[in-house]
Amino acid sequence: MEKVSISTVKSIADLLVVATILFAVIAFAIMLWYLARRPPLTGVTKLVLLAGIFVFPLMSAMSGNVSGYDTTQKREFCGGCHVMIPWTADAEDPNSKSLASMHARNELFGDRNCYRCHEDYAMFGAVTTKATGMVHLLHYVKTYWSVPAEETFGRIHIYNPYPNHNCMHCHSTELDGFEELADHKGAIESIRSGKESCVSSGCHGPAHPFSKVTKEGAE
Amino acid sequence: MRTQEGRLRLACWLTIAALALFVWSVLDPGVVAVMLAMSLGQVLGTAATALFFWVVWTDLRRARVIDRERR
Repeated sequence: MEKVSISTVKSIADLLVVATILFAVIAFAIMLWYLARRPPLTGVTKLVLLAGIFVFPLMSAMSGNVSGYDTTQKREFCGGCHVMIPWTADAEDPNSKSLASMHARNELFGDRNCYRCHEDYAMFGAVTTKATGMVHLLHYVKTYWSVPAEETFGRIHIYNPYPNHNCMHCHSTELDGFEELADHKGAIESIRSGKESCVSSGCHGPAHPFSKVTKEGAE
Repeated sequence: MRTQEGRLRLACWLTIAALALFVWSVLDPGVVAVMLAMSLGQVLGTAATALFFWVVWTDLRRARVIDRERR
């Protein structure tokens, strides 16, 4: 992943990196001062330690967490678990015709296409998405740690059917052109209610067709 | 580590470890670094803070007891 140096600060993400390091360095200096000098525990010493153990580390943690959260949205992070590499490789393939890859080539999704399509769009969506991500991690460590990625095709699946409202976050279904397509017009209510999936075979899916190979090798 | 100073030194080392994880995670944001910073880093930092406030609280309590005895 891209490394940032202080001379290349260009965005808020870079600023967070600098802030994390700056607050950490101040806290480090206070810690080293206390450990090296061993001053008497007066009120002043405690106040300085309050800054070094609580205030500056908290600020460093806050900016570090925001920066870390930003990192966890990137496709490269999703590909950190080896079983996801075929999925991320497909998304990065400029010649792939899969729904996932086409979205990855869209500027609004870009290198965060996994997260943009699979995040929960709700008030606490970020929290529930990350909580589910931890369950994925646990599942990966328990079940797929030593399984070759190709052997997971047909075995890995999302916990719940893919919700249409994730598609509708961008494709509202409200524009005039949407119902001009007969297939859309005939199923508009079941699409909006989620009874008929946008990513089912025969509609726009599957989004990751290479992974739908059956045990016999037929798609 | 039974003295107040010993506890504070432990809190300092815990803080240093937590900060090292945070700095690592932002300088080289790989999967392992980010996961460790956002899990172990939080635990170490919280433990250090808890230890510090515990030392301060027990010091304050002791000082109050001494004040009462003087009166």
